[in-house]
Amino acid sequence: MASSRSKILIIEDDKKMSDALASGIAVAGYEVTTASSAEEGFFLVHSLRPDLLLLDLTLPQRNGLDILRQIRRGGLDVRVLILTSHNSVEDRVEGFQTGADDYLGKPFSFPELMARIDALLRRFLPTSRTALNVGDLILDSGSRTASRGGEALDLTAREFDLLLYLAENHGRTVSREMLAKDVWRETSRYTPIDNVIDVQVARLRRKVDDPFAVKLLQTVRGLGFKLREPIS
Amino acid sequence: MRISWPKSIRSRLTLWYLLVLAGLLLIYATLVFAFQYVVLTRQIVHDEIQDVETVEGLLYFNFQGALELRQDYYSRPQSHLLIDRMMEVRDLSGNVLYRSPTLNGMPLGGATRKGEGDANFDQRVLRLQDGSYVLVISHIHSIQGQELLIRLGYSLGPLRERMFHFLLLLLLAVPIAIALAGFAGQMIAKRALKPLERMAARAEGITASNLSSRLEVRNPNDELGHMARVINHLLDRLEQAFFQLQRFTSDAAHELRTPLASVRTIGEVALEKGHDSEEYRDALGSILEETGRLNETIESLLLLAKAEATQPGDRQTTFIASDLINEVLNLLEVVIEERNVVVIQESASEGRANVHADRSLLRVAILNVLHNALKFSPNKATLRISYSRSESGPERLFITFQDQGPGIPPGEHRRVFDRFFTSSARATASQSGAGLGLSVAKLVIDRIGGEMWFDEKIVQGAKCTIALPVFSDFVGLMLVGH
Repeated sequence: MASSRSKILIIEDDKKMSDALASGIAVAGYEVTTASSAEEGFFLVHSLRPDLLLLDLTLPQRNGLDILRQIRRGGLDVRVLILTSHNSVEDRVEGFQTGADDYLGKPFSFPELMARIDALLRRFLPTSRTALNVGDLILDSGSRTASRGGEALDLTAREFDLLLYLAENHGRTVSREMLAKDVWRETSRYTPIDNVIDVQVARLRRKVDDPFAVKLLQTVRGLGFKLREPIS
Repeated sequence: MRISWPKSIRSRLTLWYLLVLAGLLLIYATLVFAFQYVVLTRQIVHDEIQDVETVEGLLYFNFQGALELRQDYYSRPQSHLLIDRMMEVRDLSGNVLYRSPTLNGMPLGGATRKGEGDANFDQRVLRLQDGSYVLVISHIHSIQGQELLIRLGYSLGPLRERMFHFLLLLLLAVPIAIALAGFAGQMIAKRALKPLERMAARAEGITASNLSSRLEVRNPNDELGHMARVINHLLDRLEQAFFQLQRFTSDAAHELRTPLASVRTIGEVALEKGHDSEEYRDALGSILEETGRLNETIESLLLLAKAEATQPGDRQTTFIASDLINEVLNLLEVVIEERNVVVIQESASEGRANVHADRSLLRVAILNVLHNALKFSPNKATLRISYSRSESGPERLFITFQDQGPGIPPGEHRRVFDRFFTSSARATASQSGAGLGLSVAKLVIDRIGGEMWFDEKIVQGAKCTIALPVFSDFVGLMLVGH
């Protein structure tokens, strides 16, 4: 099992950020190495052959995009996720054009970073199944129906989308940023959206959890929401 | 050769003034000269006619039958042109009966012309054999029963000489006058433009650190005074904007520092006295919530900067206003339902007007306004949205949002748009966000040429009006055509 663990290299000059990322990602079962400078990172990319590179753009001496360009020119097969506080549309476009696979603006939510990492490393393959279940909650994305304990749930379209997204990520925390982007398809976040999300989740909870003894939809304070069976 | 045009306004003004003056002086000199010439010529003719009349009385045939002139005529003191006077007398068959000695035997005009002098005093200019010009008048008189043609002429030489001197004098006076005028003009222009130099020197000394100093206004009614006042108004606006920016920076710092202080305190307290993981969990959650607040403030600041930097024409599309409102209402639907708020749309058909703007920014603006109205609405309240069009002037769409919330305290109707403004009313203080929502909305709407305000006359609830310029189909079609 250990040999199949994906290797992730973090090139980030801020030590606190880098340490926090390393420990957080390691918990999820990846093998993590950190580099604090462009040179060190570039050396490690070649010696370590990581599967995924988390790349900060503002590095001392050299710009992260330079390293990316060099890696792409060398034809190395490594997925690259850019982490940066330069978060304008133009920055994103430049990142993708240079050869990044994904782009996440700082500050990001950790659950979202994990979701992106998983997606890039295809640990969670996109579900081709139409039926999903979390505990006694069953969702059918084909007919767009949901039931719990055999009892059909009367959900609005938005509620179903929200529940489906939570179910697809079940067991993991989903942040408000992720919901705004993936369920509401809002390009940026503002206060009203968070309010809408909170209200929507509260309503969903009333339908999915309130009539039942076992609560599936949990709020993770400061992080977001999680759909999972409670560990008894 | 290239003529270099003077650089300073002062010299240009003087030069123009001199060119015009020179032109006028030349025209004036020409007219004076011509007038003088005509007047003098008429005077000569007049003198000649008088002479002819006089001469007529002095002519007589002597006993030999020859025509003679009484010599005492020469002693007449009145005429100063006597020396120049020439006279010839012919009988009607053309024989010369008398020729004055001043002619030196030259004929004064040739043969008698047809009808010469028979009725009037005929006048003409002749050229004598010696080349000099003579102004001659002819008249027929009867002397001792015989009809005689008297030709009397004055040489034009002295007149022309005098006129030539007069012309020289005139032409000499023009450059002198121009030189004097030029000097005076230069001095006057210098004096007139002096305040401009002072203004420039004063303006050069105004920097960010002394934006409050102003140009001196000597005479507020003249052009330079007007200019100074205009520049002073510009400085007023700049100073105000500068002051706002300073206040904004300090407000923003304060707004960022507040959650930061919470993060710090929560962390410190948790480390100091926390013992179980539940407490730590609680502290961390709280810290994350604060970072969320920080992030929201930064996002709003970036949005403000983006709206601020919007240039007309950037990412603009044309869309129907009420569609956007409905889209936002749809997004907020869950909040509306949750609060049991009833949304009533009035004259919705009026809202189907085209608006030309950055849709995503206007959407944020409308979202902020609607969310704000909902946030303050009590449960089961009514939110009334009505549309109307302007009746005169450029076509505008008015969208009003009237809620049944606590309303805005008197005097705060404008200040609610200030960045980081939080109302003094206690009921709203607990629910307010970063205080940027309405600022963002107003900025976005101002930038697309619209207006936004709260009705000060409304006491119950708040009534917000957004006026948007309607993008006419005609212009729209033209743009599409391009």
